[in-house]
Amino acid sequence: MMSIKAFTLVSAVERELLMGDKERVNIECVECCGRNLYVGTSDGFVYHFLLEEKPLPTGTAAFTATRQLHRHLGFRKPVSELRAASALDRLLVLCDSCISLVGMRSLEPVPSGARIKGASTFALNENPVGGDPFCVEVCILSVKRRTIQVFLVYEDRVQIVKEVSTPEQPLAVAVDGHFLCLALSTQYIILNYSTGLSQDLFPYCSEEKRPIVKRIGRQEFLLAGPGGLGMFATVAGISQRAPVHWSENVIGAAVCFPYVLALDSEFITVHSMLDQQQKQTLPFREGHILQDFEGRVIVATSKGVYILVPLPLEKQIQDLLASRRVEEALVLAKGARRNIPKEKFQVMYRRILQQAGFIQFAQLQFLEAKELFRSGQLDVRELISLHPFLLPTSSSFTRSHPPLHEYADLNQLTQGDQEKMAKCKRFLMSYLSEVRSTEVANGYKEDIDTALLKLYAEADHDSLLDLLVTENFCLLTDSVAWLEKHRKYFALGLLYHYNNQDATAVQLWVNIVNGDIQDSTRADLYEYIVDFLACCSDQQLVWAYADWVLQRSEEVGVQVFTKRPLDEQQNIFNPDDVISCLKKYPRALARYLEHLVVDRNVQKEEYHTHLAVLYLEEVLRQRAASGGADPTATETQTKLRRLLQKSDLYRVHFLIERIQGAGLPVERAILHGKLGEHEQALRVLVHELGDTAAAEDYCLWSSEGQDTPCRQHLFHTLLAMYLQAGPAAPTLTVAAVDLLNRHATDFDAAQVLQLLPGSWSVQLLSPFLTGAMRGTVHARRTAQVALGLARSENLLYAADKMKLRGSAIWLSDQKLCQLCQHPFSEPAFVRYPNGGLVHPHCAANRQKAPSSPSPGSRT
Amino acid sequence: MRRPDAKVVLLGGASVGKTSLLRRYTERRFPDSVSTVGGAFYLKPWRSLHLSLWDTAGREQFHGLGSMYCRGAAAVILTYDVTHPQSLVELEDRFLGLTDSASKDCLFAIVGNKVDLMEQGREGNGGPHACPRSREVLREDAVALYKKILRYRMLDEKDMPPAEQMCFETSAKTGYNVDLLFETVFDMVVPMVLQHKAEEPVETVDITSQKPPKHTRSGCCT
Ligand SMILES: Nc1nc2c(ncn2[C@@H]2O[C@H](COP(=O)(O)OP(=O)(O)OP(=O)(O)O)[C@@H](O)[C@H]2O)c(=O)[nH]1
Ligand SMILES: [Mg+2]
Repeated sequence: MMSIKAFTLVSAVERELLMGDKERVNIECVECCGRNLYVGTSDGFVYHFLLEEKPLPTGTAAFTATRQLHRHLGFRKPVSELRAASALDRLLVLCDSCISLVGMRSLEPVPSGARIKGASTFALNENPVGGDPFCVEVCILSVKRRTIQVFLVYEDRVQIVKEVSTPEQPLAVAVDGHFLCLALSTQYIILNYSTGLSQDLFPYCSEEKRPIVKRIGRQEFLLAGPGGLGMFATVAGISQRAPVHWSENVIGAAVCFPYVLALDSEFITVHSMLDQQQKQTLPFREGHILQDFEGRVIVATSKGVYILVPLPLEKQIQDLLASRRVEEALVLAKGARRNIPKEKFQVMYRRILQQAGFIQFAQLQFLEAKELFRSGQLDVRELISLHPFLLPTSSSFTRSHPPLHEYADLNQLTQGDQEKMAKCKRFLMSYLSEVRSTEVANGYKEDIDTALLKLYAEADHDSLLDLLVTENFCLLTDSVAWLEKHRKYFALGLLYHYNNQDATAVQLWVNIVNGDIQDSTRADLYEYIVDFLACCSDQQLVWAYADWVLQRSEEVGVQVFTKRPLDEQQNIFNPDDVISCLKKYPRALARYLEHLVVDRNVQKEEYHTHLAVLYLEEVLRQRAASGGADPTATETQTKLRRLLQKSDLYRVHFLIERIQGAGLPVERAILHGKLGEHEQALRVLVHELGDTAAAEDYCLWSSEGQDTPCRQHLFHTLLAMYLQAGPAAPTLTVAAVDLLNRHATDFDAAQVLQLLPGSWSVQLLSPFLTGAMRGTVHARRTAQVALGLARSENLLYAADKMKLRGSAIWLSDQKLCQLCQHPFSEPAFVRYPNGGLVHPHCAANRQKAPSSPSPGSRT
Repeated sequence: MRRPDAKVVLLGGASVGKTSLLRRYTERRFPDSVSTVGGAFYLKPWRSLHLSLWDTAGREQFHGLGSMYCRGAAAVILTYDVTHPQSLVELEDRFLGLTDSASKDCLFAIVGNKVDLMEQGREGNGGPHACPRSREVLREDAVALYKKILRYRMLDEKDMPPAEQMCFETSAKTGYNVDLLFETVFDMVVPMVLQHKAEEPVETVDITSQKPPKHTRSGCCT
């Protein structure tokens, strides 16, 4: 069993001081009240001493006793019990079955001679029910069989208040309120002397052992039970604490919170009431008295008196912690709550929790440690500071004093065991990442985040990057040095970026890509840099690295200009500057112009022409490389054609010149078309290229968005071209037939019929004819419907007009001109559409003078 | 330290496994245990209450303490060892009398522990701990005892939970039925305690409770 030092045994009264060389005289009883110590002896003397306590730095104390008066009580019998009643300044002395009252200082019996006779033992009620401060309640076991008496004892008189009889002979008693706790000959009971009701506690055998009945606090007693148990019982007859396990032959017991002490022939044992464990054993031979007096525990042999000095609770707790007995220390600390002022307790308890946390931590019990740190509100820097170099150099932190633990650092704690060290660090990592966003971190977020960064970097932990790309308080100088040391250059760049030092960040990353420094965090770092620059609003920086990114890859590099965030595009980079920068990088340039022309739809001739020329050059280059005319169009060629077709901005003549003789008939046809030279364009397609499908296509796209006559014109031109060739070119004849049949509605059928050779069969042209017919009929019907609708509309208007003209107007002498208010003298008048009548001259005048009121407004 | 609201006591002969059951329940493990000296107790918060669980000592020497431990108990868990028929007999002969001091409406549960051994015995490969007296205690015997207890306590079977519900077979070793046992008992104790609290005249003013004190007499105006 692990022990703890809860008490030290010190001598109080030496044998010589007491009875000198009187060999046969023994100590029978002791009493202690404040500084007064009384000793009763077997030869009938009472001795009075004054105790002087001198605290020692070790937490204990030394006592010196100075002898005061001593007096013989006049009996030939031993003094068997002593009790002080300090409120009355009286000492109660039991000797020869008689309790006498003597002065506490004088030891003189009271002049009245008041005494209680016939007592075999007695107890003072420390929790009396009556409130009279000038008396004490004394309960005696009478020498009469099975009788108990309760007395009130005053300064110089005694008064019996109660006599109760018990079922068996009582042997020991303790009192609390109305309750007597009694050891009878075969059992312990609780007896309410006011009601007479009793309650059995448990049986024991008085023949085998002396009973012990001891009040330990409000309404609670401690009893010696079977099998060497110290049993707790309340006045209600129940047990609220588990028993403590003593030896079989315990002579006496005392309580000094939170401990129960017991004396047997060889030892004093100390048990905790909190966990019932035995905590300390002090060898002590021939002891026969163990008692506590207001918190002071006294033990005596027949020759000497000793004091058991309790160590301060804090010291005991510290001792427990020092021997890593966390659980017990916490139980003891919690148990002390009642005995220590709240404020002081909280400070102390928090500290104990923290200390306990470090003990668990040192044993790698991280879960427990975490909980203790949390409930103890540990300043996390205490924990950080265990790890060498984690706290930033600028941190103002110093470890709490006295220290919470004995470790200088983690090396010492783990004794260099790398695996343990790694575990500790992992714990710290998870702990810091948990607390960094809680209020625990307030006030030292820099310390925490910097430490976390260092741990992550050292452990090569992924969260390093997460930490740096989200809000953090990592201190720059410390972090830089650490990241450099651990070659976390990519992360270092993120740190610089977070601290608004983008130039430094990019330079660092460029160095990694260039291979000047090593960091394999990102395989796609180059792309990352491009993305970064594309989003970077610092124009200077983008220009500074434009060449570098383009040199590595034109297609990707150009993204610093083309992938910029949408909202910023218009203002930040001037396209002309970009173009001149991209001169050296044709593919990047093409990509950029594409971006301007296609993505951003910039309407500027230069860019369109430039892009077309670039495409053209590329096409020509590709052709030269593939050694001749590749019939299938390459990707660039398709792009070129699309541009030439879609855009109306580029300089057509310039391009026609460039394209002349290059063997690009389709492109040339498109360019002719752009100039409105459709016949020429079609000729190129039909005769040079011999691609009738392309020609047909040409008619379609170049008439897109134009009116029908324009389209008809194109198709007629093409048809004419096919027919012109005559029977000599049968393919063109077939093409002509197909053209007609496929695009029946795009022709003026009447005109076509004129052109066709008479030899062609109707069968051959039936799709065309049907289509044309249907078209014409449709057109006619549509026209008829339109005509009908127009007519009916016309009729509606006519009807309206008729209605307006329909009614007759009566003109009489009573009718007045609305303008001049004179009657009409002649049949001529003017009528306004709202019905108002006026003189013709008035109407004429009014038109001349626009200021005159309108007749319409006068109704 | 908070005062417990109710007490649950485990009774039963030595070595039937009372301590093991409690430890299995409170610590989720089955450690080696030494024979209990005197008694021990655990505080168990359960719903709104704090229950004290008393582990008593089964040895004859401590028998006298049982009555005090049972005083005012809200529930008594009588434990026997299914491989020891005598341990069931003892419940009636030695332990039932101790419960006289328990609360008037005290609940009873009868628990046959160590069923893991019984199963071993059935399969015919009793381990070194297998009991030499292999005759098992039948569950019906426990049910019969339960009914006897109700009669002894002069309780009407109708007012009490049925025997089938209050007779358990457990194994502290495997954990079988251990949670069920304690939680069934606790859940029955809670309404009892709350009812007692409501009936009790308020003797002390509980300044920690939010409830306004109940008026014992109606005022002059209603
Ligand atoms: N196989 C098996 N053994 C058990 C079981 N429960 C307890 N035991 C064993 O039985 C023995 C006694 O168990 P305890 O829990 O100490 O018994 P107890 O009832 O507390 O005994 P006392 O404290 O003397 O009253 C121990 O060796 C346990 O390991 C169980 O469910 N199965
Ligand atoms: Mg046990």
